[in-house]
Amino acid sequence: MSEIDWVLKLLGRFHPMVVHFPIGLLVIALFLELFIVLRKNQGLRQGVNWMVYCGGFFALLSAVLGYLLRVKDEYSGDLVMDHQYLGISTALLAGITIVLLRYSLRGKFKNLLYYRISLLLTVALVGFTGHLGGALTHGEDYLTSVLPGGQENNQQRNSGDLLAALSQTDSLSLHQKEQLSVEVRAIFAKNCYQCHSANKNKGELILSTKEGFLAGGESGEVVTKGHPAKSELYRRVTLSPNDEGVMPKKGKVLKKEEIALIELWIEQGAHWSDQEVKLFPEAPLALSKPVLPTSSDQQHPIDQLIDVYFDREGLEWPDVVDDRTFMKRAYMDAIGLLPEPAAIEQFVADTNPEKRSLLVDALLSDTHNYTQNWLSFWNDLLRNDYSGTGFITGGRRQITDWLYSSLLSNKPYDQMVKELVNPTKDSEGFIKGIEWRGVVNSSQRTEMQAAQNIGQSLLGINVKCASCHDSFVSNLTLDQTYGFASIFADSVMELNRCDKPIGKMAKVNFIYPELGEVEAESLKERLSKLSTVMVKKENGRLYRTISNRFWDRLMGRGIVVPLDEMDNAPWDADLLDWLAADFIDSGSDLKHLMRQVMTSKTYQLKSVSYAKPEQVKDNYVFEGPLVRRLSAEQFSDAISQVVSPVFHAVEYNPSGERVIAKRIWHQEIEFDRTVLPKPGKRYFRRTFELPQGEIAEALAMISVDHSYILYLNGQPLMKGQDWKQVDKIDLKKHLQAGKNIIAIEGENEGSIANPAGVLFSMKIHYESGDPVEINSDTSWKTTDKVEGDTWLATDYDEEGWRPAKDYGNANWSTLVRFTFADQENQFARASLVKQHPFLSTLGRPSREIVTTSREDQATLLQALELTNGQFFNGVLEEGAQEWLERYGADSERMVDDLFLKSLGRSPSKKEKGVLLEALGSHPEKEQLQDVFWTMMILPEFQFIN
Amino acid sequence: MEPINSRRDFIKKMTAASLAASATSLPLASFLSSCTGPTSEISSTADTVILLWMAGGMAHTETFDPKAYVPYEKGVESKRILSTFPKIPTAVDGLEFSEGLESIGSVMDKGAIIRSYKAADLGHILHTRHQYHWHTCYEPPQSVQAPHLGAWIAKELGPANPVIPPFISMGQRFTMGEAEELKAFHTAGFLGSEFGPFLIPDPSTGLDSVKPPQGMSLKRFEARYKLYKELVDKGGHMEQGSDYQRESLMRSMEQSYRLLNSPESKVFDLSEEPKEVYDTYNTGRFGLGCLLAKRLAMNGGRFISVSTEYEPFLGWDTHENGHLRARKMKELIDRPIAQLIRDLDESGHLDRTLIILASEFSRDAIMEGRPGEQVKDQVDQPDVIEDEKFYGMHRHFTDGSSILMWGGGVEKGLVYGKTADERPCSSIENPVVIDQVHQSIYHALGIAPETHYTIEGRPFYTTPDGSGLPILDLFGKPISSKT
Repeated sequence: MSEIDWVLKLLGRFHPMVVHFPIGLLVIALFLELFIVLRKNQGLRQGVNWMVYCGGFFALLSAVLGYLLRVKDEYSGDLVMDHQYLGISTALLAGITIVLLRYSLRGKFKNLLYYRISLLLTVALVGFTGHLGGALTHGEDYLTSVLPGGQENNQQRNSGDLLAALSQTDSLSLHQKEQLSVEVRAIFAKNCYQCHSANKNKGELILSTKEGFLAGGESGEVVTKGHPAKSELYRRVTLSPNDEGVMPKKGKVLKKEEIALIELWIEQGAHWSDQEVKLFPEAPLALSKPVLPTSSDQQHPIDQLIDVYFDREGLEWPDVVDDRTFMKRAYMDAIGLLPEPAAIEQFVADTNPEKRSLLVDALLSDTHNYTQNWLSFWNDLLRNDYSGTGFITGGRRQITDWLYSSLLSNKPYDQMVKELVNPTKDSEGFIKGIEWRGVVNSSQRTEMQAAQNIGQSLLGINVKCASCHDSFVSNLTLDQTYGFASIFADSVMELNRCDKPIGKMAKVNFIYPELGEVEAESLKERLSKLSTVMVKKENGRLYRTISNRFWDRLMGRGIVVPLDEMDNAPWDADLLDWLAADFIDSGSDLKHLMRQVMTSKTYQLKSVSYAKPEQVKDNYVFEGPLVRRLSAEQFSDAISQVVSPVFHAVEYNPSGERVIAKRIWHQEIEFDRTVLPKPGKRYFRRTFELPQGEIAEALAMISVDHSYILYLNGQPLMKGQDWKQVDKIDLKKHLQAGKNIIAIEGENEGSIANPAGVLFSMKIHYESGDPVEINSDTSWKTTDKVEGDTWLATDYDEEGWRPAKDYGNANWSTLVRFTFADQENQFARASLVKQHPFLSTLGRPSREIVTTSREDQATLLQALELTNGQFFNGVLEEGAQEWLERYGADSERMVDDLFLKSLGRSPSKKEKGVLLEALGSHPEKEQLQDVFWTMMILPEFQFIN
Repeated sequence: MEPINSRRDFIKKMTAASLAASATSLPLASFLSSCTGPTSEISSTADTVILLWMAGGMAHTETFDPKAYVPYEKGVESKRILSTFPKIPTAVDGLEFSEGLESIGSVMDKGAIIRSYKAADLGHILHTRHQYHWHTCYEPPQSVQAPHLGAWIAKELGPANPVIPPFISMGQRFTMGEAEELKAFHTAGFLGSEFGPFLIPDPSTGLDSVKPPQGMSLKRFEARYKLYKELVDKGGHMEQGSDYQRESLMRSMEQSYRLLNSPESKVFDLSEEPKEVYDTYNTGRFGLGCLLAKRLAMNGGRFISVSTEYEPFLGWDTHENGHLRARKMKELIDRPIAQLIRDLDESGHLDRTLIILASEFSRDAIMEGRPGEQVKDQVDQPDVIEDEKFYGMHRHFTDGSSILMWGGGVEKGLVYGKTADERPCSSIENPVVIDQVHQSIYHALGIAPETHYTIEGRPFYTTPDGSGLPILDLFGKPISSKT
């Protein structure tokens, strides 16, 4: 920003302050002028003159500053323009008033009449302009909202109107009685439920149900039909606000119209309507498929809708981003990886006007990478993880296999929902919930969890609150929740309020009964019915919810927020419903939904920065995508791509190859219990017989936590000290027909007992005949003490050696490179890795509960992890070693490549200078490691712009 | 950045920085609305809390609430076994402990004991469920992530010294069985990871967590940060306008740099202790944890927990050899805990440091669960003991646990509550539940009992429904006997 620019901008911002001077001065001038006229008091003349001069000057100044404010802060819209024109007119008229005054004083006019008329007009104009200014600041309905019939009253269901309408007739029609009843019950709901509902029946009075109302409270009936004066309820609400017995409570009384309505209602017989009273706003269940506007020049349907939106908001279309920025966005959103330098250059050079859409298509068809990127989104949403509570006692199941293959084949979303709700063995983990051993709170029974999770994840409604009592945040009741949960129950459920049974049995029902019946004899039938009902087109809520989640993922903020509260108002209802309807039309094709968004111009707009998080919460106006931080998984994978693999082992292996070898160690026992291995050396032996024959190849792989020496037939052949690495060697030359002995000396490091394990696999191929495989398993023998090296020999007496203990895979997962196929440069995608402190610190949730949005701001614990975390710094150190081996001392090429790989662009001259200086002429591991660190911490690397 | 000249200076800067940060970077601000309604003012009696956690279920009759001693002999009946150790006197008249706890007994004139803690009834016993309940005051599972006691305190009070994380958890690793269940409550939950535990599994390497990365000199550490700042400037990264997400990243990196570059991190360095002090504490990781807790408490720690590590069937979780293993566990805790109390007392820190010793539940030789509840047995206990490995407390018992407290305004020499002398040795006077324990701790710290946040539309209190009350008797208010 140039210097003059910010000065102007600053000046503009003084407008709201300065503007009060002319208002005050001119209004008082008029006031005093009247005084002069009426009282014939000329003593004030001089003062009034000066007030007019000053007022005029400030009016002019305000107009100038106001103009600056509008231009520099980019205000636009009808209201603003009106305010501007009126403001300028005011300033001009004030000027005229001054001229007229001067003329009059100099005697050019015979009296002050013209000036006085002009002053009057000026002040009137000040009033109008001021009002518009106020409307700009406080909202257009600031004044009118409190007027009778204004919006604030509208929200109160127009009690006044109804009262007026009903008061005019002597006898009410049934319809009017219904209206009146609903109205009165709404007053109860708002003012009385807090204490007098099924949740909390103070004075034994329940006003939320007909039965409760008829039963009355501890002192009997609360209403005597037809006689307000004899009704306890009426007496209580009409007491003085200071009376102890006043209702709703001391210090708070009902409004006059509300009391009058209640009075009328009792007079008319206190009819109780069976209609539902909805206290909270609800989004319509069905979609309104909006017709696309024809007025727009835009080609893409989303852009056509946004065009209308921008028009309405008085916004101009912002610019779109450049190719490099677009590429990072599209890559991260589709496959969660950084584009390779060569691909970037090719894309930038490409002159095809359709290239951006083509890129989106290409990325979406990269199925494995797409799946491995979006897996994290779905895992969060469906509360699925490789580890977590419940697994240990069999109270939880994964759905990873099902999820992975569903994403891989781009299974239609309605089909996914059906399989989640009415599951097979592979997908039952979702509704099965998490069952801890022991007795749990009734609101956390697995049936309840199913209702809560389906509600939150798939339908965007909070069922949790209504699992204990009628909800305080939506219209959902305890009855409805139990009805919903009963679908998943083996037997009839008894309602519990706040964990206390209330002697009422639940009746199976979906929370949106208008979609169809779900009652059936068996659990399986009910699930089947529910799955059909859930995915009906009429259930717009299902499709709106997922469309909104995808929009949020791709644009940084939902059309509705929070994402799990789909009854909230969208910032553009047409856009949301169009997206959802188009999604249904596509056959619930998730990639279609992504493609629609990602090929729009709207997706390509420059990202918008917000100084405060509140700005993207309330009163949000869409102006473009938000800046987004890389997720924990994306950040980790990006480092794996640029520097060195962050993770080496996956918990879920999509390639499906199974490792037969086991992680073994010497069994250590304390008080009859197997305990964690203590630090120190342990010894492993395995003898085996080989047939005669020519060996073609005998590839062996080994990985030991922490370090090892591998011996074959007495010969030390290999060493290693990194469990993440897989060392490979061809042992052909050292094998012999007959008896062979593999021996391993392993060492567990550290100061306290901790996991240790040997993983070994060898495949011996003969020129002819079957291959022989030797794997680490419990047939190996181990000990914790040896003398000399006799234990390396085939004929050694293994007395005192114990069978190895299989320590399982849990601590190490599956090393992606532990395979006989060549897998150089492969790293473990973070979405396939078991929860790790590095990932969890960076925001991967624990998935004990459904998580639909991650923290968007950095925390100190994260910064500490990045600054001194051994894990992260270790990765950078390994990377530095690898890069040095690759690049030697060619610092320039190193810096260029590092920029291209990590930021997708070449360094500027300045940037290059800084990094070259840091690396020095003979870069060492330390310097390069620190350069890596610097680059990975840069906001440009960590954010999607 | 300007060099930091003195400790005072540094603290001033850090306070400003962390205040600024906490004012603008509440990570979950989107989901949380702060406390509403009136909050009562309580004057605090403590600034720091040390929780000494006896993980695995410590039998009260073998430790702080001994009953009739029945020595081992072949053929002894299980039902006769109430305590397997003789009683010993303590510094408080009439208060007796079990043999092996002489040192702790000698500092009981500085603290109080609750002998009537009743753990929740959660059916078929799973240690980590009870531990979750003890630490969060909520029974798992929950539909929102419940914060750990330490996270609440970190959130409400912040760090006492900006250089020391307000919630430090020592001694527990998450590698063996029930690791996931342990992780589920070592969390700030919905309060946001900012208030989560700073984990130090091995206190002797605590320093590593608060200094520049291993193998990096201070000079290099400073140069690396300077390089980063320079590149940010040169790259024009800030020209895109201020953005709250970007700002939070830059700010957190700066804070972390200042923390790790601070001389205050020496607090975590146990090698600064004189050898004889080190040796007194050093009974293993738990003892060293007590030593580090002492250093932290003296230098502005806020909530510090030191745990005898929980591993199923190890530590206090005695499923067999109960007598022998209880002896070993007492050796582990007796000396360092007593020394911790004495050291803090002598340095004057005990007045404002509340120390609590507790376990998720107790054990018994016969009872599983609690009297009157049918809970699945997990251990076979013969009626007649022919092998010494059956001599001890091998079953889980959820009634009658002991909780010890020192300092932070706690009445000295107080014995609160009582258990029966005959089996089942249940609480028979002033029974205490977890809500009261939490509220007593909050009370000492001046945190109002109705403290809560709204998450997903639900008001979530420090103790369920905000209905828990502190035990005022612990703080010198007159004893009211409730049975």
